[in-house]
Amino acid sequence: MKKFTLKTLPGDHLHLVQPQHLRINYKQEINPAQYEAVTSVNGPHLIIAGAGTGKTRTIVYRVAYLVELGIKPDSLLLLTFTRRAAQEMLRKASILLDSRCEQVSGGTFHSFANSVLRKHAGRLGYENNFTILDQADAEDVVNLIRTRMKYDTREKRFPRKETLYDLYSRSLNTVTPVKELLAADYPQYMEIENDITALHNAYVKYKHEHNLMDYDDLLLNFALLLRQEEAVRAALSEHYKYIMVDEYQDTNKLQAEIVKLLASKHRNLMVVGDDAQCIYSFRGSTIRNILTFSEEFNDCRIIKLEENYRSTQPILNLANEIIVRGRERLGS
Amino acid sequence: MYAKQLYTKKSGGNLPQLVSAQTENQQSRYVVQKILEFREMGIPLEEMAVLFRSSFHSFDLEIELAKANIPFLKFGGFKFIETAHVKDVVAYLRVLENPKDVVSWNRILLLIDGVGPRTAEKVVDDILKRRVGLVKEFKEAVTATTKFWMEYGGYPENVRKLFDVLKEIVSPDIPPAEKTSLILQYYEPILRARYEDHLKRKKDLETFQNITERYRSVDELLTDLALEPPNESIADIESPGPETEYLTLSTIHSAKGLEWNTVFVIYALEGRFPVMRAAASDEEMEEERRLMYVACTRAKEHLIITYPMNIYDRESGLILTKPSRFIEGIGEHLLEPWVVD
Repeated sequence: MKKFTLKTLPGDHLHLVQPQHLRINYKQEINPAQYEAVTSVNGPHLIIAGAGTGKTRTIVYRVAYLVELGIKPDSLLLLTFTRRAAQEMLRKASILLDSRCEQVSGGTFHSFANSVLRKHAGRLGYENNFTILDQADAEDVVNLIRTRMKYDTREKRFPRKETLYDLYSRSLNTVTPVKELLAADYPQYMEIENDITALHNAYVKYKHEHNLMDYDDLLLNFALLLRQEEAVRAALSEHYKYIMVDEYQDTNKLQAEIVKLLASKHRNLMVVGDDAQCIYSFRGSTIRNILTFSEEFNDCRIIKLEENYRSTQPILNLANEIIVRGRERLGS
Repeated sequence: MYAKQLYTKKSGGNLPQLVSAQTENQQSRYVVQKILEFREMGIPLEEMAVLFRSSFHSFDLEIELAKANIPFLKFGGFKFIETAHVKDVVAYLRVLENPKDVVSWNRILLLIDGVGPRTAEKVVDDILKRRVGLVKEFKEAVTATTKFWMEYGGYPENVRKLFDVLKEIVSPDIPPAEKTSLILQYYEPILRARYEDHLKRKKDLETFQNITERYRSVDELLTDLALEPPNESIADIESPGPETEYLTLSTIHSAKGLEWNTVFVIYALEGRFPVMRAAASDEEMEEERRLMYVACTRAKEHLIITYPMNIYDRESGLILTKPSRFIEGIGEHLLEPWVVD
C-alpha cells in the first residue's frame, strides 16, 4: 500500500480562512503599520512601538487575527509584565472577535514559568509541589540562615535581611557580582563581603533542600529546564506555536533566553517594545535584548509604529529631538 | 537604537516650554500658579501631572501645593514628610517648639543608642513633671552638670548629649536653618547607623535643609509642614473617591504608560536630571535620556519643563545652574524659553 505522509506546512492555517472571509475589517480599523504587524504570522518579528502609537491595540488585533485564521487559541502564548496587562488584552480581543480569545495562553513570565515547573521541576531535583516564596518569605528565610550562621551576634554590624535579599536578587537579575553591588551601594559592608557571599550560597542550598523557590528561582529554573531538557523544550514548542512578548525592552537576560529557547524550533516569535523607553536597568532589564534581536534573528521583519495618537506635533518634535541628540552623541 | 520619528495627523498645538526659575521655591510657586491657571482654563486636576527624576525633587512643591490647597496624590517613592528620616529631624524641631510633644520626645529618645522604651518613658515623665528643664531651663539644667546629673541621675550619657544639642539651639533668636544644620550634625551618625541606604536619605535631608532656609521661625516652618493633608491610607491612594479632584505627582518611572493633558517636568537640572553619577557611564547617561523621553511623551497638549538655577549640591560642593543636557541648546523653534520673574 502506498503511504501519504501529511506534512505540517508553515502557514498551513492560512488556507483555512480566506482574508475576504474575515469578520473584522482590519484594514479599516487600524493604520497601515499596525496592519502590517497584525497580519504578520510566521517567523520572527520585531515591532518597535513608539510612545502613544497604539501598541496595546495592535496586540489585541493580532490575537484576534490569528484566532480568526483558525489557529488554536491555546497555542498562542502572550507574555506580559503584569497579569492585568495580559487579562486586559485578551478581554479586549474577546470583545473584538469572540470568546475564543479567552483561551489564549496569557500571563507573566513568572506565572508561565511556574505552570511549567509544576510539571517538570522533578527533572531539576525539586519536587513538583515546591513552595513559592514571596519577597517577605524569602527575606525571612535569609534571616533564618543569617541567625543560624551566627551573623546576627557579631561585633560588626551585618546587613539586614531586606538589604541582603535585595542584593542577591539584583545580583541575579542584573548579572552583576554581589561584590560590585556592595561597592556601589553599601560600601560600609565591603569588608565582610566573604560572609555575605557565604550566606548567599547557604540561602541557595537551603531553598533547594527544602523545596522552595523564590521569584527569581522561577525564571532561573525555567531557563535551566529549557536549556537542559530537550524533550520538555520540544513539547512546549509543539504546544505554543506562536509567541508574543510585550514590553520586550524591559526583559532581563534570563527572560530573553527563555523566549528564544521557547521559539527555537518554530521561530514564530513577535516581540513588541520601544527601545527608547527602556528605563528599568536597575531592576535588571537590559536594552541589549531589543537592540540585538534583529541580529540574533537576522531574517526578522522590523515594523515600526510611528503614528502617535496622544500628543500634538510640537511635543513629538521635541521628544524626537531628544532621542536624535542621543544617537548623535554616541554616533549610532 | 532603531531610528524612528513620531508623528501625528492632528494639527496645531503649542510649543513646549523651558522655564528657568531662580530658586527651587520659585520653581514650586511657578508650577502652583500655572496649575491654577490651567484649571481656570477648564483642565481638571486629573488631567495634569508633575513628573520628576527622583522622589525628593517634589518635596518643596508638596509644601506649596498644600499651602495652595491643591489636592495631590504622589506615586513612586514616599511623600517627603512621611519618610522616617525627615520625621526624625522634624521631631527635634518639634520638641523645641513644644516641650510637651511626647510623641516627638519618644521618637528622638529612642533613636539614642542605649535608650530603650523604659528610659525614654522616665525621661518623658521627668520632662512632663518639670523635673527636667523645659525650653528656658535647658541652659541652666545642662550647665549645672553635677547638680543636674545627681538630681536626675540614671540617664545614659547619650541622653545628655542630646540635651547639649537642644540647649545650644533652643534660643528663638537662632534662625531655623541654623538649628536644622546643628541637628543634622548631631543626627548624622544616627542616620548612618540606622539606615543602610543612608547615602540616599542624606539627599532628602539636604533638601530639607534648603527648605528651612526660607523660614524665619521654626513655628512657621512646622506649620507649613503640618499643613500637608492628613496621611491617606494606601486604600485611599488606590481608589480616590469619584468626586475628589486631585493632581498627580509621580516619578517618571511610575508614570510609564500613562498620559495627561498637561505635564510638568520639574528639576530638569544638570546634576539632578541626569543624576550626577550618570556622567560616569554612557549607558547610564542614555538611560537618563530615555527617562526624559518617557516624561515628555506623557503629555497630550501642554508640556512645561522647569529647572531651578541655583541649587547647591552638598555632596560635590558644586552649585548646579545649568538646564539638563537633554534639553540645553535645543532651538527655540522646538522649545520656547521662559524665565520666572
